[in-house]
Amino acid sequence: MKKTILRNLTIVSAIFIVTFSIMLITNYFQVRSFNPLQTGVIETLRQINEEHANNTELQEQIRQLDLLARRAYFVSMDHLMTGVYILVGMLLVFIVSLRLYFAGEQQIPGKQVPPADDWAVKTYARGYVHWVAGGLVTATLVFVFFSSPYLKTKPPQQAETLAETEALPSEEAGRESSDYGELPSADAPSVPSPADEQEAAGAEETLPAVEVSKVTHNGFRGNNSNAISSARNVPVQWDLNTKENIAWTTDIPRQGYNSPVINGSRVFITGADEQTRELYCYDLYTGKQLWTLTAEGISGSPSQMPKTSTDTGLAASTVTTNGKQVCAIFASGDLICADMDGKRLWAKNLGVPDNHYGYASSLLVFGNLLIVQYDNHNSPRLMALDMATGTERWNKARTDKITWSSPIIAYVNNQPQLVLMGNPGITAYNPNNGEQYWRVEGLSGEVASSPCSAGGLVFGASEYAALIAVDATTGRTLWQANDFLPEVSSPVATAEHVYLATSYGVLACYDAKTGELKSSHELNTEFYSSPVITEGKLYVFSNSGRMYIYSANSDFRLLHSFETGQATFATPAFTDGKIVVRTQTSLYCVTHSSVNS
Amino acid sequence: MRKYSSALILLFCSFLSHAQNRFPKPDFESGYQYPTFRYPVPDETVWMVADLALLVLLMGIVAWSVIRKRRRAPVVLVSVFSVGYFGFFRTGCVCSIGAIQNVALALVDTSYTMPLVVVLFFILPILFTLMFGRVFCAGVCPLGALQELVNVKHYRLSKPLTLVLGLIPWIYLIFAIGFAVTRTGFIICRFDPFIGIFRLGGDLGMIVFGGLLLITSVFTGRPFCRFLCPYGAILSLFSRVSVWKMRLTPSCINCELCHNACPVDAIRPPYGNKVKESRVQGVKRILTYLIFLPAMAVGGAFLLSMTGDSVSRAHKDMQLYDMAVQNEALPQNVLPLELEVFYGQGGTFEDLSLRSETLRADFGRYAAIAGSLVGLVVGLTLISLSLKRTRATYEIDDAACVNCGKCFNYCPQNRINVKPENKKQ
Amino acid sequence: MKQEQEKNNLISRKKFLRMCGTVAAGTAAVAVSGVAFRRLALRDASCFWQIDPHKCTFCGRCETHCVLPISAVKCIHANRVCGYCDLCGGYYRNNVKELNTAAENLACPTGAIRREYVEDPYFEYTIDESLCNGCGKCAKGCNSFGNGSLYLQVKQELCKGCNACQIADVCPSGAIGRVAYATAYRLKDEE
Repeated sequence: MKKTILRNLTIVSAIFIVTFSIMLITNYFQVRSFNPLQTGVIETLRQINEEHANNTELQEQIRQLDLLARRAYFVSMDHLMTGVYILVGMLLVFIVSLRLYFAGEQQIPGKQVPPADDWAVKTYARGYVHWVAGGLVTATLVFVFFSSPYLKTKPPQQAETLAETEALPSEEAGRESSDYGELPSADAPSVPSPADEQEAAGAEETLPAVEVSKVTHNGFRGNNSNAISSARNVPVQWDLNTKENIAWTTDIPRQGYNSPVINGSRVFITGADEQTRELYCYDLYTGKQLWTLTAEGISGSPSQMPKTSTDTGLAASTVTTNGKQVCAIFASGDLICADMDGKRLWAKNLGVPDNHYGYASSLLVFGNLLIVQYDNHNSPRLMALDMATGTERWNKARTDKITWSSPIIAYVNNQPQLVLMGNPGITAYNPNNGEQYWRVEGLSGEVASSPCSAGGLVFGASEYAALIAVDATTGRTLWQANDFLPEVSSPVATAEHVYLATSYGVLACYDAKTGELKSSHELNTEFYSSPVITEGKLYVFSNSGRMYIYSANSDFRLLHSFETGQATFATPAFTDGKIVVRTQTSLYCVTHSSVNS
Repeated sequence: MRKYSSALILLFCSFLSHAQNRFPKPDFESGYQYPTFRYPVPDETVWMVADLALLVLLMGIVAWSVIRKRRRAPVVLVSVFSVGYFGFFRTGCVCSIGAIQNVALALVDTSYTMPLVVVLFFILPILFTLMFGRVFCAGVCPLGALQELVNVKHYRLSKPLTLVLGLIPWIYLIFAIGFAVTRTGFIICRFDPFIGIFRLGGDLGMIVFGGLLLITSVFTGRPFCRFLCPYGAILSLFSRVSVWKMRLTPSCINCELCHNACPVDAIRPPYGNKVKESRVQGVKRILTYLIFLPAMAVGGAFLLSMTGDSVSRAHKDMQLYDMAVQNEALPQNVLPLELEVFYGQGGTFEDLSLRSETLRADFGRYAAIAGSLVGLVVGLTLISLSLKRTRATYEIDDAACVNCGKCFNYCPQNRINVKPENKKQ
Repeated sequence: MKQEQEKNNLISRKKFLRMCGTVAAGTAAVAVSGVAFRRLALRDASCFWQIDPHKCTFCGRCETHCVLPISAVKCIHANRVCGYCDLCGGYYRNNVKELNTAAENLACPTGAIRREYVEDPYFEYTIDESLCNGCGKCAKGCNSFGNGSLYLQVKQELCKGCNACQIADVCPSGAIGRVAYATAYRLKDEE
């Protein structure tokens, strides 16, 4: 009798527990997927309410929805807890009755089981262990294989995952700001920067006027000197003569072949003559010169400027900035560094370069490190200095002959590699400590153009030698080509193609994987300025100042071509909606005139 | 004036927070008094003393009842109490199993400090095990106790399978320590299947896993203790050599009832060596394994060190570094929140890049160590499985025995032996 | 006879080995505990989880990542830091038009902030912790536009003191850490 009751109790409680836990779990998922407090409905309605004041009907609706949401939230939380308590109670009943039901029955086997053969068990177990060990090894190998860098070098795949992972956090951040967001200051909700503080403090009265684009162009050919810009909405037509799409134009006090650099609302260039070497800062929006810093009073600086050729000059090296400091170098070996407001932080002379054309390598920034390629006749070396203080972090002697090329940072499987071209080698270093990763030889002559990289491959070319593609994971040469080679202009690469512009006016497109010449355009002009790719379009200036815009894909089709009006040798700088161009005598900014007016 | 200076100091201290004292403190004219709030703080010292005292007391009771009295009833009571107190009332933290990670981290990282209670929770069960066998597992550990309490029938799994599954706790232990010492995370705590049940809420996945484990443990003894628990792996080392041990009834009649009742398969039946293979072959096998043992360790080290790079992605700083790299390679308008905060706090990409190098080196090193340990574990298991032992009677496997005392109730001889004693009392 | 002695030898050898094992294990245990005890923090034993209010970015993960169904993180109000503003950045949403208690104007999704008139032009704000879910919307508003007197903190009587805090794992600014017994709360008005 008692047994029957216990049995029934066990069965009933078991059924109850199963159904109840299923209900609880479904309830849990419902609450999860529909958190009453986090639905967008009320938030949207509130935003509508802000736009249309005094809509009492709408306000009433919000109030009622809000009440509903709150009630639903607390009630669901309450229910969940009650449910859990009931479940635990029933579980207790189940276990107790089950135990009591089985209490009398001790597990006495009905018939004698022959004892297992211990040795047989062990033999089996050994076999299993062998299998398991093999399985573990295979699993590890598979894991290693699938996470190996060689697999990741497949560029499209990498690009895809990059895009995916990029999209996620930005979406999240976007959601977060829209949860709360109403003022533009909510764009950067959690960065406690002074600007933010000012904005926030003043937010109750005024709205900040201009939203500064976060797309930077931190050095020669953009960030990492890779000639790929993430700028959007970039103009495709302008003219200096008719002032079409020209935001501003300003004259540059002193001459130089270096390219403009953009960080935030600031544009940096340098200029120099026999007497003075200067770093200039301009406002991106107005073209107003914000400050000038003269490189003077530097110990070790030569009184007589070294001889340079006219098409190199004393200020051929492009400056670089990390948003906190900006550094510039001149053909005299003078290196100066200023903060963003033009206050000189430090300056030093790196030793007067023995260079028959004039020192021309541009600076490169990596985090807080300033990378200087100093391949001159006298003691060629590579240096990394602290941007903030100028103290040397590491120094690496170089074996290459004199070059005018600039260093780049190539990202290979998410690892930064500092890649330098020299004569005769392309060399990759660890930017943190200068340790050499790999080296490939094959360049010759006067190496003036700079390397480029995409999808784990590094490309470098010099005229009369070859265009060399290196697999940066292994340091092996993938292919060489010599159909068309650049002299001054540097190539640019995407995951599929390498594009380059020669001094005799040919634009060529190679397949990045095989080196096959895909297409070429003979344009009867000269290219010194380097092509830059943004929004899938390749922008390149001819020396005469004609702009060519090609589609940066397998078509390599001419999209736009127009005369800008002035001879241009420098590489333009890109940011959202704007291009800053340096011509021989002036600096100008291109923008959409509708935005400007 | 003082007000301002204190405000200034506050401002100075907290350059990170957005704003301080944009609005001056109001001068109230109506005699308004600032309300005072008291935030209650649980008296941790009292609880710490209570926890430790109960830990020692309960382990003492189990040791006394199992080794001295040879009775199970007190163990059941201890289990019920432990599930109630350590489990549902104290909600599980800190437990001895999780304390492995704190201790391991403290041993490696000199800058890490931990409270006394953590060390004692780690070391006391070990000391008790060294004295009396795994009395902690018997019923003091709420996880073991819970499984034991719901266990109704013990269907035995195939013996070779249990032997192989017994490898898991070791591998889990090695990885948990590896993740702890690199400060990647405490995976034992994160993947604790029963904590959600004790807290009546938490990560659904883990609760479901815990529920499944509990259902399994209704039908077979202690699946978590046998096939997952890393602390049990440590204790099994000590219980092998404990001073006092659980023993079979001296007047054993080889009735095999205890063998069938044991929830952890710790009682081995007698075994006469019916040699099926020549002695030379057996010796040869052991020698081969012994020779291959270093090779296995080295091979494991090599294999796992190759994964170090990918595994290091589990670390928070490496994830941050990856975000930073992606941002450097392709600057985005909207930074991920973590990165935004990192830069906001004055961090630089270079710091991060250096940090990632050290982390990667660390992970490579620890992965190699972990790999060699896994190789050793596999190798030693194989060697122990190649040893041939003859037994005249039933024997207790000291490493596996959890001192639960279930066998006492089944032993016909134990009743005879114990009863007169009880009557005397 | 000889055989028996051999057997005896075997047993004693076994015993001897076992004793060696016991001694070795004991030594190991004592050594580990010795080293572990040197890493003790007795006086300032870090034990309670707390948020560093100056590092907190009010990202809202405290609300969603706590192991408890309703987070142990709540908003705390430091009255001595508060400006008692009429237009409170924590109480009202931005761009608020009318300063009343209507739902469309309030920042708190659960209505956990009480607003009481003190004297012209000051208002006192109090948190009803039984309603607060630790989302940090008010704290964000107050820190962006006000004195930052509203901030998030872990409530000790609710916190389970997990060995590995799940919020600390996802905190973007690393603001969550352990504090000593003596300073069980990191309060802004006690600094």
